[in-house]
Amino acid sequence: MRTALLLLLLLALPCSALAEGFSGYAEVKGFAYGERFAGEPYGAGWGTLYGKWEQRLAEGQFTASLRAEWLTSPQTSPLVFDPADRKLRRPPLSAPELWLRVPLAPSHDLEFGRFQLGWGKTDGYSPADAFLPRDLTDPFADEKLPLWAIRLSGQEENLRYQAVLVPVTTPWRLPPLGSRNAPIASGALPAGTTFQEQDDAPPLPGFAALRLLATHGDWDLGVWARSGVRPAPILAFSLDPAMQTGPVPVISVGRRYPREHGVGVEVSRVAGPYVLRGEAAALFSADRELGDALIGTLSVERGFGDGTLLVTLAGNAIDPPVDPTLLFDRGLLPALIVAWNRTEEWGAWKLVWDCGLERGDGLVKAEVGYNVTDTWKVTVGGDLPYGSDQGPLGALHGARRVVAAVHRSW
Amino acid sequence: MVICTPLFSAPAMAAPDARALLKESETRHRTKTQQYSGDLTVVNKEGKVRKKGWNSYRQGYAGDSKNLIRFTDPPEVKGVGFLSLPRPGSDNPDQWLYLPSMKRERRIAPQDRDASFVGTDFNYEDMEEFDHEKYKVSLQGEETLDGQPCWVITAIPLEKGSKSIYQKLTLYLRKDILYLVREDLIRKGEKEPAKRLVLSDIKNVEGHYVAARMEMTDLKKGSHTTVTLKQISFNRPQPASRFTLQNLTREGGD
Repeated sequence: MRTALLLLLLLALPCSALAEGFSGYAEVKGFAYGERFAGEPYGAGWGTLYGKWEQRLAEGQFTASLRAEWLTSPQTSPLVFDPADRKLRRPPLSAPELWLRVPLAPSHDLEFGRFQLGWGKTDGYSPADAFLPRDLTDPFADEKLPLWAIRLSGQEENLRYQAVLVPVTTPWRLPPLGSRNAPIASGALPAGTTFQEQDDAPPLPGFAALRLLATHGDWDLGVWARSGVRPAPILAFSLDPAMQTGPVPVISVGRRYPREHGVGVEVSRVAGPYVLRGEAAALFSADRELGDALIGTLSVERGFGDGTLLVTLAGNAIDPPVDPTLLFDRGLLPALIVAWNRTEEWGAWKLVWDCGLERGDGLVKAEVGYNVTDTWKVTVGGDLPYGSDQGPLGALHGARRVVAAVHRSW
Repeated sequence: MVICTPLFSAPAMAAPDARALLKESETRHRTKTQQYSGDLTVVNKEGKVRKKGWNSYRQGYAGDSKNLIRFTDPPEVKGVGFLSLPRPGSDNPDQWLYLPSMKRERRIAPQDRDASFVGTDFNYEDMEEFDHEKYKVSLQGEETLDGQPCWVITAIPLEKGSKSIYQKLTLYLRKDILYLVREDLIRKGEKEPAKRLVLSDIKNVEGHYVAARMEMTDLKKGSHTTVTLKQISFNRPQPASRFTLQNLTREGGD
């Protein structure tokens, strides 16, 4: 409560940048759910205080940021030192960025530290992006987790490259199993089942990846390869008789992190007012519960005034061998994703429809943001998962909600 | 934002011809490079104010220019970058946008020329550099604006079915330096100007005239957008690596 009051105070104070290169925001979000779920209340709150410091060092660059958060639902861990985000739950205090860039030559850079990566061509779903760790504490926000990594990147004429070495596995962060945010189909487990999640230590090694890009006229081409630990875990459920002390089953949940190797190609081109993008990836794993995958995506984007309409189609030619609702990045496939966003004089809005093509489930997401001033913004929106609860989105029906947020930046 | 209007300057001529004035002015105001920091203020008809800040770098001139824009303010757009590179044999340059939230650059298609540029009263066609060769131009007469005698020239897009959203532009050039100080823009199918661009606070920076203030007014909506240029410099060598995708994706960079 004290943290919440401090956050509200910071939101209201007439702050300005403390120094050149310092920026940040304070945000308070409220969620109202359409139904109670296993004793969870109808409402939840989430407050964030974020500060970022950027400093030029001759030709180099240093950036650091710090985030403090307060959630009413029990999704944060105690205040423990977790610099690589390896714990099950979201830390209340974290350093999303802490990196230094050193130019080796005019168009060749070495970066090291903690930063986010973005790969791939297609938005909505990209097989080149899907292997990066995600924080699904809020299952509809699709937030990427930063990595401790070394990146070498550069450009010569129309050719570019990125080589990334991630020495430590940062695992995907999943919502607490048994909560309304966890995509487990109703009826899959006996009513009242409780989960005992094991805070298994993920394997230490991470992954290495290389990406080559070329631009030729209207065309952008790319190839990539990666190898190492897959950060999205395979969940292992077990019923330990020693834990069955009452009438309600207690299921123990462990996590495995298979190794996976992948190669991919990506292509995009401008065709009149359209941008066409495509990706294909072959992924291999000796783990029989993960198996191989052949993932393809196609997207078309078009601008309309100050807005963009984006349509993406993604599919996997090989069915996952485990329950797809629990294979989080592949369970969504095949999918059609339609996103339309637009900036208006008063603010912005977006509409997203994510439709699972196999199980008929999906998600409709709408958001309207009103700019009160350049630094104050009010946002309201809603997330409506629908359809069969055998699909990963339909299984989230208990998380149907309305969201309101007040955001202040400086 | 590209300064698209440093059009002309010429010595006094006995019998000026619109085309000659435009050619002479373009020759005089051509620079190899330009860089500045800018503030952009949009005021809507209710008086609500929105501000943005950015740094702009250009190399080359008119159809062969390379441009890089990096937004610096407000925090929501800080770090957003826009790179435009000329493509030989094409009217449309290659354009990329870098969004820090996505951590990757996105190639963008040529925009609808009537779409607003980042929510301002400028549209994408207004951002293009004026090329008089694509217009039928004629001298309409003389007029005095703010005490400065000006040539008044009309410019009508040459091609039938032209891509331009305008059917006529009226240009006001200061006689002494042949610099554009006002432009009235008439949309296709209309008789009265829909928008008016006024250039003021004209300075001589490093031997080049430049309007440090540009205001575009939407005469129908009642809104206006003011662009203020600061720390302007010309013909400074620009590193070749500035106009690259590698540089566009450098967070915290130029």
